[in-house]
Amino acid sequence: MTTPALEAQGISKRWPRTGAVLADCSLRVERRTVHALIGASGSGKSTLLRCLGLLEPPDAGSILVDGVLAVDQGFVAQDRSVRRSVGMVFQEPSLFAHLSALANVALAPHRVLGLDPDAARNRARSALDRVHALHLADRRPDELSGGERQRVAIARALVMEPTVLLCDEPTSALDPLLTREVMAVLRELALDAGTTMVVVTHDLDFVAAAADSVDFLHAGRIRMSGTADLLGTRGLDDELDRFLQRS
Amino acid sequence: MAVASRAAPRGCNRASTTASINGVLRTLAPVLALLATMAAAADDGLSRVRASGIMRWGCDISGGAPFAFPDPSDPDRVIGFEVELAEELAHRLGVRAERFSADWLALIDALEADRCDLLINGFEVTADRARVVAFSSPYFRYAQQLVVRAEDRDRFTSLADLAGRPIAVLNGSASIESLRSAGVPPSLIVEYDDSLAPFTETVIGRVDACLQESFIARFFAGHDPRLAVVDATFDPGVYAVVVRRGDDALLAAVNAALADMRADGTLGRILQRWGLWSDAQRELGTDRGPIVATIPEAIGTPPEDGLPWSLVLWSLARAAAMTALLTIVSMPIATFVGLLLAIAILHGPKPLSRFCHGYVLLTRGTPLLVQIFLLYYSLPALGAWLGIPELLTWNKVVVGIVCLAANYAAYEAEIHRAALQAIPQSQWDAARALGFTRAQTLRFIIVPQSWRLSLPAIINDLNSLIKDSSLVSMIGVQELLAVALGIGKASFAVPSMLVAAAAFYLALSLLADWFGQSLERRARTVGALPEPIHR
Repeated sequence: MTTPALEAQGISKRWPRTGAVLADCSLRVERRTVHALIGASGSGKSTLLRCLGLLEPPDAGSILVDGVLAVDQGFVAQDRSVRRSVGMVFQEPSLFAHLSALANVALAPHRVLGLDPDAARNRARSALDRVHALHLADRRPDELSGGERQRVAIARALVMEPTVLLCDEPTSALDPLLTREVMAVLRELALDAGTTMVVVTHDLDFVAAAADSVDFLHAGRIRMSGTADLLGTRGLDDELDRFLQRS
Repeated sequence: MAVASRAAPRGCNRASTTASINGVLRTLAPVLALLATMAAAADDGLSRVRASGIMRWGCDISGGAPFAFPDPSDPDRVIGFEVELAEELAHRLGVRAERFSADWLALIDALEADRCDLLINGFEVTADRARVVAFSSPYFRYAQQLVVRAEDRDRFTSLADLAGRPIAVLNGSASIESLRSAGVPPSLIVEYDDSLAPFTETVIGRVDACLQESFIARFFAGHDPRLAVVDATFDPGVYAVVVRRGDDALLAAVNAALADMRADGTLGRILQRWGLWSDAQRELGTDRGPIVATIPEAIGTPPEDGLPWSLVLWSLARAAAMTALLTIVSMPIATFVGLLLAIAILHGPKPLSRFCHGYVLLTRGTPLLVQIFLLYYSLPALGAWLGIPELLTWNKVVVGIVCLAANYAAYEAEIHRAALQAIPQSQWDAARALGFTRAQTLRFIIVPQSWRLSLPAIINDLNSLIKDSSLVSMIGVQELLAVALGIGKASFAVPSMLVAAAAFYLALSLLADWFGQSLERRARTVGALPEPIHR
């Protein structure tokens, strides 16, 4: 069996004031596959993704990225190369407002990877090209539409060539038209380029078309795991049925 | 002899801008005195003077004529009877005179902090002061004299005639004590901070008379047809050179030189030149010497053909350059240090964060003026204590810049803190996910954005710093306001000099705004990666 791109075991997390959000979540994401996290709002999927993205230290559990221990018993490794191997796209694009689209994408290759500015820019251009945003290279973030911004944000994560790309409801802030534009890019990345992804999403069409595996979260626990076929089932689990009915 | 109990008897001094400062200084006096005693370990003044070949004498050149003041026809030159006295004294000690300027109220502290060797600036010999400093034998005898409106010349011929009427005096002067001891109720003693104000208030009629030291009454009112000087004088007193207590060798040398100057007519000649001679001076043993004419500067009237504006403007322009220098050097330091403080407060380890927060609270919570004074007058003591007397060599401009920068850094820190906190957490998350360290995130992502937010407030502070920089005139830095007031008082043109100074301030302020706008424009343009540099 090959090493999975991402493996999480027993992730638990509770907020000091509001109580438990994650309880004993484990998952395994194989290379060149797309893993979807679905569930109602407040089910803990965004928190789980932030833990996987090493932005939030879990209280317990471990996370391996490409076989390397990134979180061990709740402690996040300080090794920056591990952190770089997990890319992240957020609900809000959060582009760096003071930089052009190109510079947004090129900054990390230049400053984090240490590439010289020309090499960083070339790499950024090809990343922008992959999300069909090369023509936006010189625009400022406030000159871009929401969908364009999110595509640049995807390019900014991709340019670091992460082992796995984590997407946290990347279209929740977009209208349906822009949603389609961004999901098309993600689908292309998943199906054509074979990018390993973990996607938190409400877009079940995307899950059906692109996801190789699906986890259904409810009340901080992974309640059901399976393939995208899970979406077509009824009667297996009450909560899943209720969720699918509402979505 | 009149004994004044207040801190600052003196013929004519101070700008109204420094009025509120008096209280602060009085409160500070014990602290400064303590610091000064720490520094008083310095060896005796005479050997220092002889060794360096320089006699540093302290005075306040904004005190106005005829003491030591900017020459109205050449404002760069400081003239006055005390300037000539100091030069003659230095000559007789075999050294060169070097003037040290500071606000009059700070002169004794400056002396005790060894910023100068002695003071010659209308210091009246009083019992209170004699407990703190040592006085030489006197060089001038004065008395109190009333000035009334010309039309009241025959109505008010003595203090008794003015019973129940308001009388103007210079704030803190010996005249107040004279009136009090004569039984005038405090409600009728109207104090003014400006030396000219008692006269103008008399002319206007808000008060019916003003009481001044006699030669000042004659100097300012003697040539004004709207005013009359009442003949009788009372409550005489004397001026003497001030030296540090215990500086006996220097005091003896000064006394010997003064005795010679009184006996050989040199002092008499100087007093005659400045129109200050009166037969009362003989009571001090001063010989009149050969009769000499009064010099035009001593007549005490405005220059006939008005102010020499080209010279005055040139002086103001150079003083404005000093103001600009103080601002241009302090503000970038304040902005940068403020940023470091804000980052330390928000992101530093707890002890550092607390320390920096404490610094901001302390600095914002105490007057800038107090900080300037404390630093300037404690440096020598600190240097002696630390065994690095080089600290003494910090000149007043450097002290001024350090104080302005340190004070404004606290304010800029709060501006930066607000701006840093306004950058959404998602920017930090995005940077962290890309592998940026915290330091890199601050440097390349957070600060470039917070800078844009803080810039308008910083430019606003730059504007107020231009004007706050006038506070360093208290330690004798000749910046715009101090120079304008000095010239104004010496040439009876305070209002027009203030307007001229205001015009220069406005010009500086507009320049600052223009600079700020171009900075904001630059900050708004979209950033690109830096061009390749040698790495």
